[in-house]
Amino acid sequence: MSEGRLVQRRVAGRGPVRSMNSRVTGRSHAAASAARWDTAIGSVGAALIVGLVTAVVAGRAMRRPIDRLPADRAALKVRDGAAILGASVLADSAMEHLRGGFYNPAMFAAPVTAAAVLSASVAEPDPRERTFAHGAHAAGAAVGATGLAFHLYDVGRRPGGASWQNFFYAAPIGAPGALLLAGLFGLASERIVAIEHLERHPRERLRIARLLAACSGLALLFESAEVALLHFRGAFHDPAMWLPVTVPPAAGLALLHHAARPSLHRDRLARLLTGTTGILGVVGTGFHVYGVGRHMGGWRNWRQNVLAGPPTPAPSSFWGLALIGLASLDLLAAEGLPR
Amino acid sequence: MSETFLAPYPDYDVLAKWDTPSWNEQTREVMAHRLREVPGRRFFDEEEWAVLVAVCERVVPQPERAEPVPIAPWIDAALFEGRGTGTHFATLPSGPEAWRRGLESIDREARARHGCGFAALDATRRDDILEAVDAGDVDAAIWRDLPARTFFRHLLLEQIVALYYVHPDAQSEIGFGGPASPRGYVRLGPDRLDEWEAPAAAKRP
Amino acid sequence: MRAPVGVWATEAEQRPRATDGRAPDVFSRDGHVPMRQFEDGEDVDFAIVGTGCGGGVLAAKLAEAGLSVVAFDAGPFWRPLADFASDEREQDKVYWLDERLSDGDDPIELGSNNSGRCVGGSTVHFQMVALRFRPEWFAARSRLGYAVDWPVDWRTMWRYYAEVEDALKISGPVSYPWGPDRGRYPYRAHEVNAAGLVLARGAEALGVPWAATPLATVSAPRGKSPPCVYRGFCKIGCSTNAKQSVLVTYIPRALAAGAEIRDLAMVGRIESAGDGRVTGVHYHRDGQWRFQRARNVVVSGYSIETPRLLLNSATDRFPDGLANGSGTVGRYLMVHSNHAVWARFEEEIRWYKGPPSMAVCEHWNYVDDHPTKDFDGGYAFMSQGPLPVDFAKALVSNTGTFGTALRNRMAEYNHMAGLKIVGETMPQAENRVTLDEETDALGLRRARVTFSYADNDKRLFRHSLGFMKRMIEAAGGFDAYETSSTAHLMGGCRMGHSPEDSVTDADGRTWDVPNLWICDGSLMPTAGGVNPSMTILANAARIADRMKALAARGELAARHA
Ligand SMILES: Cc1cc2nc3c(=O)[nH]c(=O)nc-3n(C[C@H](O)[C@H](O)[C@H](O)COP(=O)(O)OP(=O)(O)OC[C@H]3O[C@@H](n4cnc5c(N)ncnc54)[C@H](O)[C@@H]3O)c2cc1C
Ligand code: SF4
Repeated sequence: MSEGRLVQRRVAGRGPVRSMNSRVTGRSHAAASAARWDTAIGSVGAALIVGLVTAVVAGRAMRRPIDRLPADRAALKVRDGAAILGASVLADSAMEHLRGGFYNPAMFAAPVTAAAVLSASVAEPDPRERTFAHGAHAAGAAVGATGLAFHLYDVGRRPGGASWQNFFYAAPIGAPGALLLAGLFGLASERIVAIEHLERHPRERLRIARLLAACSGLALLFESAEVALLHFRGAFHDPAMWLPVTVPPAAGLALLHHAARPSLHRDRLARLLTGTTGILGVVGTGFHVYGVGRHMGGWRNWRQNVLAGPPTPAPSSFWGLALIGLASLDLLAAEGLPR
Repeated sequence: MSETFLAPYPDYDVLAKWDTPSWNEQTREVMAHRLREVPGRRFFDEEEWAVLVAVCERVVPQPERAEPVPIAPWIDAALFEGRGTGTHFATLPSGPEAWRRGLESIDREARARHGCGFAALDATRRDDILEAVDAGDVDAAIWRDLPARTFFRHLLLEQIVALYYVHPDAQSEIGFGGPASPRGYVRLGPDRLDEWEAPAAAKRP
Repeated sequence: MRAPVGVWATEAEQRPRATDGRAPDVFSRDGHVPMRQFEDGEDVDFAIVGTGCGGGVLAAKLAEAGLSVVAFDAGPFWRPLADFASDEREQDKVYWLDERLSDGDDPIELGSNNSGRCVGGSTVHFQMVALRFRPEWFAARSRLGYAVDWPVDWRTMWRYYAEVEDALKISGPVSYPWGPDRGRYPYRAHEVNAAGLVLARGAEALGVPWAATPLATVSAPRGKSPPCVYRGFCKIGCSTNAKQSVLVTYIPRALAAGAEIRDLAMVGRIESAGDGRVTGVHYHRDGQWRFQRARNVVVSGYSIETPRLLLNSATDRFPDGLANGSGTVGRYLMVHSNHAVWARFEEEIRWYKGPPSMAVCEHWNYVDDHPTKDFDGGYAFMSQGPLPVDFAKALVSNTGTFGTALRNRMAEYNHMAGLKIVGETMPQAENRVTLDEETDALGLRRARVTFSYADNDKRLFRHSLGFMKRMIEAAGGFDAYETSSTAHLMGGCRMGHSPEDSVTDADGRTWDVPNLWICDGSLMPTAGGVNPSMTILANAARIADRMKALAARGELAARHA
C-alpha cells in the first residue's frame, strides 16, 4: 500500500479532523477571528476596490465628450497614464501601509491622495487653474514629496541607517516617488491643454512636448532603479525579472535622447521601447500574481502572501509611465520631426 | 505562594485558528490526538502516581481551569512507551528508574518532615519541599546517590513544562502564535502584529 | 524496531521509504523520484554512513562524478510538506533520542540539543545560521597561539565555502562586516525581526558592528522551495521547504546522479579483512542485519556516532577500534558554549516570528588585543527566538522556577529578547566518546560522552555574559538574567598533520586504514566561534574533490579509477 493511502486510512479511522476542535474543546472561534480593522487585509482590500471604483466614476463624470484637438488627445493620454499611476500607487500604498499596520495615521494620506489623483486624472482636462483636478494633482505631488522625505527619514532612523537592508525592507523610496510623479504629470496635462487653448504659442508647445518626453524618460529611469532594487532583493531568482530592469531604462534613455534632439528615427525607437515597456507593465502584473501563488500556501494563504509576495499593483506603473511617454511622442510628432 | 496568575491575553485562543491556513492537516491530527486521547496510567503504581500528580499541581498550578492541562498522563505514557530524550546523565539512574526513585524520595522527604505523604500536604508545605529539593537541602539518607537538583530541574521540571507548553491552552495564555504552517507571519517589527496573532496585551501593573 | 516517536506519518519511522527503485520526493506530499539501487553483494565504490552535512555532500558529489554510492542513514526519510507538524513534541521525531550516557564535570545535553537522526542529518532541524570560520582559525596554533592548526589552508576553504553557500542559496547581507571579502551571498538577507533589532540597537549603542545573519533559508523562491514564511518553527523542522537543509538540496542531487539512499538503515559495524582494509558495512534494516560490500567506507555519523561506530568495529587486528592506532578516536570532542542573557522589554517583541537568529555579532571573533579579552578563541552571538517549550526548559533548568511564578514569567514570553553565544571551546584529549558496557536495542554498545570545560572556556563565556548583559540593557532590556547550555558537536575523530595525534589526513582518509574515510563534523580539529555546518559542508565538498582527484590518479580503490 502506498504511504499516501496509509496516511489517509489513519485519518479516516479517526473521523473528520477538520471539524473536530469545537467538539474537542467546546469553544467557539469568535474571539480570535474578530479581526482588527487596522490589520485586516480583507476590509482594506474591500475599501480599496470601493475607492478605485468611486474615483473612476467620479472622475469620468467630469470628462465631457467633445471634439478634441491632437494636443487634447495627447493631454488625455497623459492623464490616463497619470490615472494608472495613481491607481497603482493607491493599491500599492494601501497594501504596503497595511503591511505596516497603519502604524502612523499619516500613512492614510498616501492612498487617499492617490485616489484623488486617480479621480482627477480621469476627469476632462481643463485649462482653468481653480478646479478640483488641479488641486488634487497638486496635492498628490505635495503628499508624494512629503512621503519621500518621510520614507527617507524612516530608512535613516532604523538600526543600520542608509544600508542595503533598510533600502530593502524599510519604507520604500519609489512608492511616494510614483505619487509625486502622478501629481506632476497630471499638472502637466493641464499645462498642455492650457497652451493649446489659451496661449497658442508654437515655441511653448514644442518646449512642453520636449519637457514631457524628458520627464517621462527620467521617470522611467527612476522607476527602473526602484525595480532593480527590489528585484535584487529577490536575487533575480527568475530570469524574467531582468526584463523590467533592461527594457524600461532603455525606453527612458531613448525618450531622453529624443527629447534632446527630436528626429523621426529616434521617435520610432522610443515608440518601440516605450510601447514594450507598457506591455511589460501589464504582463508584469500577471507575473506578480503568479509569484504570489508560488509562496507557501499559494493564493489560499492570500492574507499573508498578498502582503509578503511580489507587489501585484506595482508593475502597472510602467504601463502608466509608458502612456505618458507615448503622449509626449505624439506631441513632438505633431510639431513635425526632421528625418 | 501568594502570587496569582495574571493572564495577559485572556481572550485569545490558538485553537480558533484550527480551520485557517495557520494549521495544516498534520498539525490538526497531532493536536486532536493530544486533546482527545489522553492516556491512562500504565507505568507508575498508584502511590507514585499520586505523588506525580501532586507535584505537577504545584509546578504548574491551574486553579482557574475547570479542566487543567493534563501533564502526569503524558509523563507516564512516555515512560511506558520507552520514549527517550537522548540524554542519560551519568549521575542519574536511567530514565524510568530515576523517575521512580525521585518521586519516592520526594514522598519520603514529606513523611520525614510532616509525617504524611507528599500528596496529603497542603500547597505551602508541598512548595517548601520542592524548594528544598531544588536547593539540594534534603535528607541524604533518603536521596542517597540521587542528585536532588539534577533530578528536579533536568527531569521533573523540564518534562513538566515541555508537556504543559505544547498544550494549546498554555500557548494561548502566553500569547504565542501557535501552529503556523502554511501561513506564517508578515509583520516582524516590534509591537507589530498580524491579524491572526493575539491582540496586544493590556499593560501589566 | 524502534517505536515511532510521532503520531503522524509514523510509517516513515517504521518501514523504509527508499525502496523498489524509488525514493520519496521531498518536494511533494506523497510522490517519489526514481532511485538507482545496488545489490548488497555488489562492491560499490563508496558506502557512506550518515547523510548529513558530511555524508550528503559526499554522496552527491561522488555520484555526480560517476562513482557508485550507497549512503545509509539510521533515521527516516521525511517529506517535510506532509510529515512535519507545527508541534514541538511531535517533532521530537527528527532527533537522535536513543540514550547516550553523558558524563564529566559539565555533562552536555544530547538529543534535541545537538543530534539529528534522519536523512539530511542535523540540518533538518538546524537553525540555519550560515557562518564562515575566521581565516586565522585554520592556523590557530601558528597564527593565534592556541590549540592546533588544521591541515588545510584557509584560502582553499574560502573557495569551498562559496561553493556550498551557492548550493544552499544562503540569504545573507550584501556586505559582511567581518573578515576578508566573501563575495556576494546568492540570496539577499531577510528582513530582521524585532528580536534581531534588539541586537542591532544594542550593538549600535555599544559601538560594535552587527549584521543580518546569513541564513540557509531562502528569501525569494528557489526552484520548488517557496520563500520563508517566518513561521519560526525552524528548529523542529521546516514544513515549507524554505529551509535549505541537506535533505532538500544535496540529497535530491545525489539521487538524480544515481546514488542510493537507504533510510532506516543503522550501520552497526564496519567489516575489515586480514590485510587491514575494510570490505563493507553491516547494517540493520527492515528487521534484519545485512552486509553491503564496498571498496571504500566513509563514516559521516557526526561526533558521537562516528567514533562509536569505529570503536564498535574493533577486531583482533584493531583491538582498540578501527583507525585508532593513535588512541585519538573519540578524543578532542568539542561543543560550543551556548550561554545567554535574556531580558524583558517594554514593547512586544514576539520572537516566535521568523527564524530564531536573524541578527549576529561576530565582534569578539575578530578582536585579539583588548584589555578585557582574557581568553583564547572567540565567540559570536545572535538574537534569539525560542519556541515556548524550549524557552520554558531553559528557564526552569537554569533557575528552578516553578509554580505560579513560573506561569507569570512565561507570560512575559512576548516581551522577551535574548542574546546567545556560540562560544569556542578548547580541544581537550579527555573530552571524549567511549563505549559504555550497556547496549542498545540492536545490541550495539552505547556511547558515553565525557565533557568538562577548560578554564579558558569558562573565561570566555564569563566575558560574553558581561558583554551581552551590557548590550541587552543598552537596547532597553530590563530584569536581565543568564542561562547556560551547550550547542553543536565538533571533533572526536580529528584530521591532522600526523598519525600520532589525529585520526585522518587532510583528505579525511584514516591514517591506519587506506580505504576507510571520515567526513563530517568529527574531523574538526578546532571548534571556532561560529556555528559549524558551513565549515562541515565546505570541508566535505573539498574532500569530495580530493577523492575524485585521487580516484582519477588511481590512488583510491574505485571501479572508475
Ligand atoms: C538544534 C540544532 C540547531 C543547529 N543550528 C545550527 C545552525 O544554526 N548553524 C549551523 O551551522 N549549525 C547548526 N547546528 C549544527 C549542525 O546541524 C551540525 O553541526 C551538522 O549537521 C553536523 O553535520 P554532520 O554531517 O557531521 O552530522 P549530521 O548532520 O548530524 O548527520 C549525521 C547523520 O548520520 C546518521 N548516522 C549516525 N550514525 C549512523 C549509523 N551508525 N548508521 C546510519 N546512520 C547513522 C544520523 O542519523 C544523522 O542523520 C545545529 C544543530 C542542532 C541540533
Ligand atoms: S521560519 Fe522559514 S525556515 Fe523557519 S520553519 Fe518557517 S519557513 Fe521554514
